[in-house]
Amino acid sequence: MKVKVRFRLNGASRTDEVEPNQTLCDYLHDAAGTTSVKKGCDTGECGACTVLLDDMPVTSCLVLAPQVDGGEVVTTEGLGTRSAPHPVQREFVEKDAVQCGYCIPGMIVTLSWIFEHAPSASDVEIKRLMSGNLCRCTGYLQQIEALKSARKRR
Amino acid sequence: MKSFQYLAPIPPFEYVAPRTLPDLFETLSGHGKELQVIAGGTDLMIALKERAAVPKIVVDLRCLRKELGGVSVEDGVLRIGALATFSQIESSPFIARYANALRQAAANVGTLQIRSIATLGGNLATASPAADSAPPLIALGATVTLLSKSGQRSLPVQSLFVGPKRNGLGAGEIVSSVEIQADADVRSAWTRSAVRNENVLSTVSVAVASTIRDGRFGPSRVALGAVAPTPILAEKASGAMTGGEATPHEAERVAALAAEDARPISDIRASASYRKRLVLVLTKRLILQIISESLTP
Repeated sequence: MKVKVRFRLNGASRTDEVEPNQTLCDYLHDAAGTTSVKKGCDTGECGACTVLLDDMPVTSCLVLAPQVDGGEVVTTEGLGTRSAPHPVQREFVEKDAVQCGYCIPGMIVTLSWIFEHAPSASDVEIKRLMSGNLCRCTGYLQQIEALKSARKRR
Repeated sequence: MKSFQYLAPIPPFEYVAPRTLPDLFETLSGHGKELQVIAGGTDLMIALKERAAVPKIVVDLRCLRKELGGVSVEDGVLRIGALATFSQIESSPFIARYANALRQAAANVGTLQIRSIATLGGNLATASPAADSAPPLIALGATVTLLSKSGQRSLPVQSLFVGPKRNGLGAGEIVSSVEIQADADVRSAWTRSAVRNENVLSTVSVAVASTIRDGRFGPSRVALGAVAPTPILAEKASGAMTGGEATPHEAERVAALAAEDARPISDIRASASYRKRLVLVLTKRLILQIISESLTP
């Protein structure tokens, strides 16, 4: 039996009916149009599906779609736009912190959270906080540089 | 665009999110083994995807965060609600003050994304021998409170663990909170060894809690994770440490006893003999750390 959910997605109120056995990751990607949410491992290890749920980064593949009822979800689409990007999004472009791009939306969600909530995190602390976002192309240095550059320019 | 399914879809089930405790217990009492409670879901979601759990009904506790969440200190007791997340535990000033070992363990659970949603009650109810929250709680002498339709009961945290992934919850019973005596004189510390630093199961984890006065240990406990079918209180080590001299020599002796208390198996992460060696090294390291902290004003 479908479950009715009412929640906020990227600032807009949304009412929908979801299957109990659907993950939030599949729901956001397949039904809600937020295709930035990528399914990598589907077991909470890679971080490609990271979204903010009630202002905390979570792997949406480990959340059931009905669990968002009453909550607030932000994906990288909700952090900024092409003309007004989030500081972290802007610096990802500036620092060439992208190769294939699959990990990037989740990476940006996590780094935007670090930007807001751990503004003075050291390099070691940044690495600890982003350990749940795996990149299989380039590594992590450009992404960390992008975060630090965004911090400098805030 | 349809996502590719890496794992087969989760089999269908009914989902309910009770809004009050009476509603919750009503729902729980109507079902048996086909019911599964979900808190943070970081263990259960994997079990659902791997078919290790195939429930007919999933009962979500998320509407009961007020009743079952939060961290508080009242009448000298630190109370941690079952739905407190590891991120909340990691950043709580009460836990930093009264349960440092638990703060250290919480900060090392999984990843930021896991800590953001995984709960203390869920970690205990999953009953993994490697549950990172258990050794700190056992070392700190914590009790766990269980709630059901017929009332509540409390037991030592180690008694909730009955075997690998087997908890001592009765039918219709949930973990509601954990209680620790709030004593700022108690020093506690936790550490672990694992194959990498992040997002990994502990190969061995150790927690020690003690008070030090006039160069001697007061009541002390050493607790171990991932070296027995459940997290354990290292009884010989704890007994020997209590009342002993707070010296490096004594740390060595207690650590050797902790290795004797461990009953590890060999598995993909480490051999039994290596685990015993790790218990000795990590226990000694923690006791030395507690001694040196007691010497700095």
